[in-house]
Amino acid sequence: MTKYFLLVTLLPLFGFLINILFGKRINSEKFSGYLSSFLVFVPFFITFLVFLDFISVPPESRKIVLNYFNWIAAGKLSINYSFVLDPLSITMVMVVTGIGFLIHVYSIGYMHGDESFARFFSYLNLFIFAMLNLVLADNFLLVFLGWEGVGLCSYLLIGFWSEKKFTGDAAKKAFIVNRIGDFGFMTAMFLIFANFGTLEISGFLGNIAGMPVNSVLLTAIALLFFLGATGKSAQIPLFVWLPDAMAGPTPVSALIHAATMVTAGIYLIARTSVLYALSPTASQIVLIVGILTALISATIALKQNDIKKILAYSTISQLGFMFIALGTMSYGVAIFHLITHAFFKALMFLGSGSVIHAMHDEQDIRNMGGLKNKMKITYITFLVGAFAISGIPPLSGFFSKDEILYQTFINAGILPYIIVLFTAALTAFYMFRLTGLTFFGKARYDENKVHPHESPRTMTIPLIILGILSAVGGFIGLPHFTGLPNYLERWLEPVFTNANRVIQLYKPEGHHAVSVEILLLILSVLVAAGVIYFAFKKFSKQERFEKEKGFGKILENKYYLDEIYDKSVVEPVQNTSEFFLWKIFDVKIIDGFVNGISFYVSRLSIDWRKIQTGIIQDYATITIAGVVLIILYFIFA
Amino acid sequence: MEQTIISLKNFIPECVLIVTILVCLLADLIVRKKSAVVAVIGIAGLFVSGWFVIGQFGVKESVFFGMVVIDPYSVFFKLLFIVSTVFIILFSLASKEIKDSTHTNEHVYLMISLTLGANLMASSVNMLMMYLALETVSITSYVLAGYMKKSKRSSEAAMKYVIYGAASSGIMIYAMSLLYGYTGSMNIFEISSILSKMGGTNPMLVIVMVMILAGFGYKISSVPFHFWTPDVYEGAPIPVTGFLAVTSSAAGFAVLIRFFSVTFLKSTTMLNGSLQIIDGIRWTEIIIVLSVASMIIGNFVAVWQMSFKRLLAYSSIAQGGYIMLGLVVANQQGLTAIFVYLVAYMIMNLGAFYALIMISNKLNSDDINDMKGFAYRAPAVAVGMGIFMFALSGIPATVGFVGKFYLFSALIESNMIWLALVGMMNSVVSLFFYIKVLKYMFLSKPDEENSGKIYYGIAGYVLLFILVIPTLLLGIYFGPIVRFAEMSAVMFGLK
Repeated sequence: MTKYFLLVTLLPLFGFLINILFGKRINSEKFSGYLSSFLVFVPFFITFLVFLDFISVPPESRKIVLNYFNWIAAGKLSINYSFVLDPLSITMVMVVTGIGFLIHVYSIGYMHGDESFARFFSYLNLFIFAMLNLVLADNFLLVFLGWEGVGLCSYLLIGFWSEKKFTGDAAKKAFIVNRIGDFGFMTAMFLIFANFGTLEISGFLGNIAGMPVNSVLLTAIALLFFLGATGKSAQIPLFVWLPDAMAGPTPVSALIHAATMVTAGIYLIARTSVLYALSPTASQIVLIVGILTALISATIALKQNDIKKILAYSTISQLGFMFIALGTMSYGVAIFHLITHAFFKALMFLGSGSVIHAMHDEQDIRNMGGLKNKMKITYITFLVGAFAISGIPPLSGFFSKDEILYQTFINAGILPYIIVLFTAALTAFYMFRLTGLTFFGKARYDENKVHPHESPRTMTIPLIILGILSAVGGFIGLPHFTGLPNYLERWLEPVFTNANRVIQLYKPEGHHAVSVEILLLILSVLVAAGVIYFAFKKFSKQERFEKEKGFGKILENKYYLDEIYDKSVVEPVQNTSEFFLWKIFDVKIIDGFVNGISFYVSRLSIDWRKIQTGIIQDYATITIAGVVLIILYFIFA
Repeated sequence: MEQTIISLKNFIPECVLIVTILVCLLADLIVRKKSAVVAVIGIAGLFVSGWFVIGQFGVKESVFFGMVVIDPYSVFFKLLFIVSTVFIILFSLASKEIKDSTHTNEHVYLMISLTLGANLMASSVNMLMMYLALETVSITSYVLAGYMKKSKRSSEAAMKYVIYGAASSGIMIYAMSLLYGYTGSMNIFEISSILSKMGGTNPMLVIVMVMILAGFGYKISSVPFHFWTPDVYEGAPIPVTGFLAVTSSAAGFAVLIRFFSVTFLKSTTMLNGSLQIIDGIRWTEIIIVLSVASMIIGNFVAVWQMSFKRLLAYSSIAQGGYIMLGLVVANQQGLTAIFVYLVAYMIMNLGAFYALIMISNKLNSDDINDMKGFAYRAPAVAVGMGIFMFALSGIPATVGFVGKFYLFSALIESNMIWLALVGMMNSVVSLFFYIKVLKYMFLSKPDEENSGKIYYGIAGYVLLFILVIPTLLLGIYFGPIVRFAEMSAVMFGLK
């Protein structure tokens, strides 16, 4: 199957080209929608076949590098367009194309009637193309190309409804904040090239394997990559763009801003796990940032009223959980949570889209209520998602989140564990506040004007499939004490062997009683169940909403972080640009310089043009004079 | 006799061209009117010849008693000439100027004759052969430049071209006779080994060198031998102008680079790869002077040109200056860079000239003022022209950037950073006039009386598309041309 693997990336690209070039002319929603979806499904299918091939061979040989062509060769720099196929990249490709396909199908219903239907699908396909390049690339430059590509698609899709000014601002915000992260990524690449003379990932990881632990260079590279990751994966301090990104169409929020693109940072660190294993300092920082982000965004989510904003902060918080796993050097666990989160968060976003669709673009949960009878499928699937994210067994989120809690306990200590457990409790709380206010209680909207109804089948079928995946997805990674095989861990193991070997050098494997693990598990389930009961009781019947006061108001306003960023970063930058860089530096110095040059160029041009008289005798004279001058120069100089 | 037969085997591509010329001539006599048949026969002949040329790849042989050689270097140029001739013949089918001329189909076999001459220029290693090949190219160019004999401008251009060309050849052949008298040989390898023994301190050698350069320099429109260029480019029909800019000047480079790299390098160093210039003959310095002068004059004077053809004339003078930068490095890397640039140069120049043909077919003018708002009238053509202009100025993601990148990096690696800087500054100036064209096309509204939409046949768009694709694609994925250039940068007798 690997022979045809290039199709995996080419087909979405092809879909993009068809839709962007001819979509408007063909002007058929059916054509654009089904073609795009199909061109994402085929890559999923091919990858699935490759997956089957892989599990039939021994784990050591589960790595193939597909070298397509030499892209750039200049001096020492040689960049191949090559893909690496290993359990990690195959897992990522299946998540991206699998969930991507479901969301494509969902979008056919959701975007029905939109003026720029074909353009929407062309961007979605371009996104899949870029994302696949990102996760498959075998060198950092190609990863970066995908990294920028998904950023571009994110920008285009956030601002998709460009007639609303807010969407444009949100798109720009996402783009600019990500630039800061990209700066980190690029600097890391420069450092790697300068010190190791290669940008190939496997080559680089092989080179560093023997280096001492915590060397300054590796820590710097690791932290710079992490800066890139905080941009793309919305972590402190660069997470502010993600909530605003909800201005885009809801399928985009589900695909790009919850399930796939925002996990690029997680992927990057997992891919370079050896680097982070060699730098415990960097890993410690990853852990701290993860914990802080998870906690802070979970508290913000408590007091938000926009259904998509709550999900957005929840996404940031869950990404924080994944970084916690990475920080404790449990790379497989991070990928596990990435997968389950992709299931249930995509599910909930699509569910919220279905609700918004039914409520005629109403997004404020204070104006909803009682929807459970009007939209049964949406309600049930959403409930599954909410239970999954809260960590109720045996749904998928329970297994992955519990593994993270356990790893935090044994690798980071008791205090981080308590914070993470508290954050998990908050998660359950805001999720059931959301569920209670949306689906239960009495209708708080004008029932004469709005008639909520279930969404069309193209939308509900993806919901059902994702609902099933969210429910049973956790069984791929059962905890050890059950005595049952942990398929995911075994599958991913070859990818992280080197990192684990490095970790063992300085950190002897500790033994923990199985009883501790079971105890922690029961504790977290009890906490989650208790919080759900409390939240559900409080919010399922709430009808009045009072103005928030005190800490609640701070939370509602997201700790005023946007305002603080505005005052401390945006305004000073803007003022410097406007009053110094633009009005003085640009206008006076740069423009003056440029205009001066162009003035002299024009003058010279006018004068020199006159040499060309059109009279051939003149030409001959000048030519001979030129020859003589050159000869004289060489004889006498 | 035996060697002649062996030599003929290696001479098949040229023989095919000769047969093609004769068949076209006969066909023209039979059809006796304007017809695509002759062009089709010509293109078919070129393809056959090209097929044999590809078969010669990797051969390194000297044939016809040391007159010409077959080596990857000459194969590269022959392919370049053949491909560009195919395109130029296609252009001439589309050109209104050619259609309106009183001739039937002479331009087809004149163009193939020029290609034959150019092929010989790329492969000759004997001064006499070089001169003959150069004259074959020149004489056919004169005829082609005056192709529109009813047009006063065309005839004037041809006349100026003849006089100027004759003077330059005269200077060159005089210098060649001096060199022959000094060394007693016409073969450049022999000359090189004799000069290596004698040393190059004789001041006469400098005179010889500069005067020979006058002959080659006129073919590549290098300052100060460039004066014919704007006038001829302006007067000749556009396909011919494009032909002169691409094939004729590339042929000039082919012979110039070989002559200087072989003749004035120490013969003892040729085979071990560490090339050294013969003491006292500082030809790379002359090249630096000519290159910088060409870039500066070409780019600066182009700024105020309002005739698109004259603008492209100055542009090709400047582009010649960039190519000479690669010669200054005088090593394998420089030659590779030149080859990459030549490929880029061919593609983007052919594109620019074709877009100009499409425009002037409808406007009957090549004045930039008349192209106001052309983007509103024929968007596809204007966008195509835009892409070629960006490529010519060396904007990234076009093939032009790749060419400049390799040239400048070759310079930087040989520690000639200042020269790379001069090249880059010149690129900035060139942006000024390339973009000026686009400013007229895209930012000005068309005049009231000429604002109707302009349509072309599907074939016109297809040909434009065929040229746009490599301009963009090779700008991103340039591995193949670089590898091709590296393989081709192998000259007979040099390591």
